[in-house]
Amino acid sequence: MVAAARHLAGLLAAFAVLVGLDMAGAAMARALRVPVPGTVVGLLVLFGGLLVLGRVPGPLEKVAALLFDHLNLLYIPAAVGVMAYGALVRRDAWPIAVALLASGVVGLLVAGWTFQLVDRRFGRGHDAP
Amino acid sequence: MIRVAWLALTLALYLGSRKAQQLARGSPLLNPVLFAAAAIVVVIALTGRGIAEYRDAGTPLLWLLGPATVALAVPLHRSMRAMRAALLPALVALIVGSAATVASAVAIGHLMGASLDTQRALAAKSVTTPIAMAITAQIGGVPALAAVFVMITGSLGAVFGTVIFDRARIRDPRARGLAMGIVAHGMGTARSFQVDVTTGTFSGIAMTVNGVLTALVLPAIWLLSR
Repeated sequence: MVAAARHLAGLLAAFAVLVGLDMAGAAMARALRVPVPGTVVGLLVLFGGLLVLGRVPGPLEKVAALLFDHLNLLYIPAAVGVMAYGALVRRDAWPIAVALLASGVVGLLVAGWTFQLVDRRFGRGHDAP
Repeated sequence: MIRVAWLALTLALYLGSRKAQQLARGSPLLNPVLFAAAAIVVVIALTGRGIAEYRDAGTPLLWLLGPATVALAVPLHRSMRAMRAALLPALVALIVGSAATVASAVAIGHLMGASLDTQRALAAKSVTTPIAMAITAQIGGVPALAAVFVMITGSLGAVFGTVIFDRARIRDPRARGLAMGIVAHGMGTARSFQVDVTTGTFSGIAMTVNGVLTALVLPAIWLLSR
């Protein structure tokens, strides 16, 4: 019973840290006038904290895994929201289709080739087939 | 009360489509988000209740994206350790590959006469969804549009990635994973883990590092180029 309560308190504290850093990140980005999303500033602060700590606390690991597992649920309102932009999507349907397809292929090829090229020149190689 | 009903419907559709995707062995063709969203759009249209009411009901879910994005620091921390083994090729491929994707997407959109809102959403579309939405908001675009572009890109990459790599003689599993993570983020990573662990790990690394680097660099470049 006590262990369960302590476990729950740990999860809530980890979640509170994430919410607090999200808000603090937004405030910092505004105060410093840097063109970086506030939530990413919060991410970097947490990353710095983890580097100093040298490990990820268990409750934080669990809350993060829970959020990532259900990210799809959080996207649904955004996807529904696109309905309001139906006219824009219809107007730009061709550029959107071509840009998404072509830039995807370009990215896959350029990234894959670049890695192999740099690795062959300077890398330590790898033993996988 | 109506807010609770909309949230309950969203949750039910999410769980249902998640189950369906699991039954389809995680096929990237069956995107639970797009499926659930399409069903909700139909319900909105049939009941004639309007999109504003649903948007209002969905705010708690959108709000949760903030803490979820901050939590990406956890996989980023893990990535840094794993990346040390191939730091130079991974970093160079990340920067060059990411720049190539963003530049080609925006250039094509621009040349084909897409509106500025579309171009802004295209710029962020290869990054993992929560960061893509934050970047799009930062440069004055429509986050919802970016979210849908991200999901379409992810599905395309997950479906066609392996074929493209084979044709282009990209055989190193680390190179394949890295490219997949840069272009197709979460969906590419899920697909890569089905292939093998090395590919999946590198895809996950590329996805997080690419997301953070893009968030740091892209808004500044966008503002300067105005």
